[in-house]
Amino acid sequence: MIRDLNFEAPAEINRWRTLALGIGGILSIVILVVALIFPEQREDALRAWLLGFIFWAGIGIGGLGILILQYLTGGAWGVVIRRLAEAASRTLPIIALLFVPVALGMTYIYEWTHLLHTGDKIVEWKKPYLTIEWWLIRSVLYFVLWGIMAALLNRWSARQDQATNAEEATKMLTDASKFSGPTMVFYVLVVSFAAIDWVMTLDPHWFSTIWGLLFAVGWALSFFCFAVTIWAALADKEPYSRILGKRHFHDVGKLMLALVMVWAYFNFSQFLIIWSGNLPEETRWYLTRMEGTWGIIGILLIVLHFAFPFLVLLNRDVKRNNKWLAAVAVFILVLRVVDMFYLIGPSPRTSGHGGGFHISIWDFIAPFAVGGIWLWYFFGELVKRPLLPVNDPFLESAIEHGKGH
Amino acid sequence: MKENIYGLLAEFDTPTQLVAAAEKVRDAGYKRTDAFSPFPIHEIDEALGIKRSILPFMVLGGGIVGLASGIALQWFVHVYDYPIIVGGRPYFSLPSFIPPSYELTILLAAFTAVFGMILLNGLPQPYHPVFNVPRFALATREKFFLLIERRDPKFDYGETRSFMQSLNAQEVFDVEE
Repeated sequence: MIRDLNFEAPAEINRWRTLALGIGGILSIVILVVALIFPEQREDALRAWLLGFIFWAGIGIGGLGILILQYLTGGAWGVVIRRLAEAASRTLPIIALLFVPVALGMTYIYEWTHLLHTGDKIVEWKKPYLTIEWWLIRSVLYFVLWGIMAALLNRWSARQDQATNAEEATKMLTDASKFSGPTMVFYVLVVSFAAIDWVMTLDPHWFSTIWGLLFAVGWALSFFCFAVTIWAALADKEPYSRILGKRHFHDVGKLMLALVMVWAYFNFSQFLIIWSGNLPEETRWYLTRMEGTWGIIGILLIVLHFAFPFLVLLNRDVKRNNKWLAAVAVFILVLRVVDMFYLIGPSPRTSGHGGGFHISIWDFIAPFAVGGIWLWYFFGELVKRPLLPVNDPFLESAIEHGKGH
Repeated sequence: MKENIYGLLAEFDTPTQLVAAAEKVRDAGYKRTDAFSPFPIHEIDEALGIKRSILPFMVLGGGIVGLASGIALQWFVHVYDYPIIVGGRPYFSLPSFIPPSYELTILLAAFTAVFGMILLNGLPQPYHPVFNVPRFALATREKFFLLIERRDPKFDYGETRSFMQSLNAQEVFDVEE
């Protein structure tokens, strides 16, 4: 019987954990101490922290989204990727903890916190929604809502592992699938609100109605790329060497291709509407981002975050070779950070000087700092359960699927 | 040797037998072969030594032609033939040209995929000799068939027939022209 086989995560992960915590812990302490002690560095450091936070939280929360999605769609890739998505969704506590510096330092990150009583017409008009207290309450609410989704789905999955017969195991799957339908709607709504509060309000005078979807899609892409990287790193070791086949990589590679296209599609939709409308309140956001170094980064994003991965992922051999696909995945992950930097960086700064290109050393360090801590927690969650849902009724066919042509 | 036959058709009970037989047929050097099954068997392409289809490249070509013609069409209309200033934007406004060009890319790529598939499969084909074997109707239900055509350079009626029988076939039929 397949359920009697051992699907425990390899011991090597524990070594990665220590390494991740070492790097992440030291760098995080450095950034946060610098932010605390040196007022002139505070804004740069905290903004960089926000960059790292949005990127890594995106992988965790994207994992929750994929967990919901794969219960809705079914399919072999969903069975095989489920435990990674579950582990990612269980990182919500550490994501909440990593959010604390953003919340505590919000007056150094968000310009609008200073504009509330200055007679700024637009910010004043947004006051029923945009206040510090209400912003903090909403942020907590997002974590609570995501937490409920993650907790329920993880609980059913754990029960399925303990199921003694097929009916029980099937019932857990049915419950999770029924829950996932309506939950998907709420998930995207919560992601939209969070993306607006945490990133779009950096520029309080600007708005975009597709903003939330940019993040829902970007975070899903981040998670897929992250999952492929983990798969490829563990593909030669037990138990993944027995599980993963070419077709699993092929399937997730296709999803990566689709999401790269959707990312470009949504970004272009936003751009085209603002470009066609040509209204001062909207175009300013793009005008800043199309000048000088920001403009070069924008072009680079089109070429490297869209055109290059799109063309490479069209190729079937790339999607079926786990090392090549992982190389593309890591490449996209790096570009995901650049994309977040492109959204966050040019926004108005609380210290007043803004507009021109600005990058600090912390923007390079923070993704590693936040990432180390997040990965440490993620790997800790990953080893807690077998790498496959051992009692899932579709498990055998899902493994078989990967070995096929 | 029979003169009016199209080829030989072997019948199998399971897809596994079919794939195993197909591999032996491929290794024996037969090229003009085909397999029939009620459902897709992904391994069969490799087992029969069928080369990968050129369709993806045709689709890519269709897409590129669509993209180019989309941009060319709009350039012709908005820049060359009847230039009008709209909303103060330049004649050649690439951002607004992208959606129609994109749609044309998809349209031509999809057309190439559908019609290319039909063409490469040799469809429509109102007559095919395999249907002269009455039991071939079961290929849509529960049986699996493997065909070696007479056109195959290695085809020799007696030898090929005994070879196919050695593949654990249920039965080997002559397919009449």
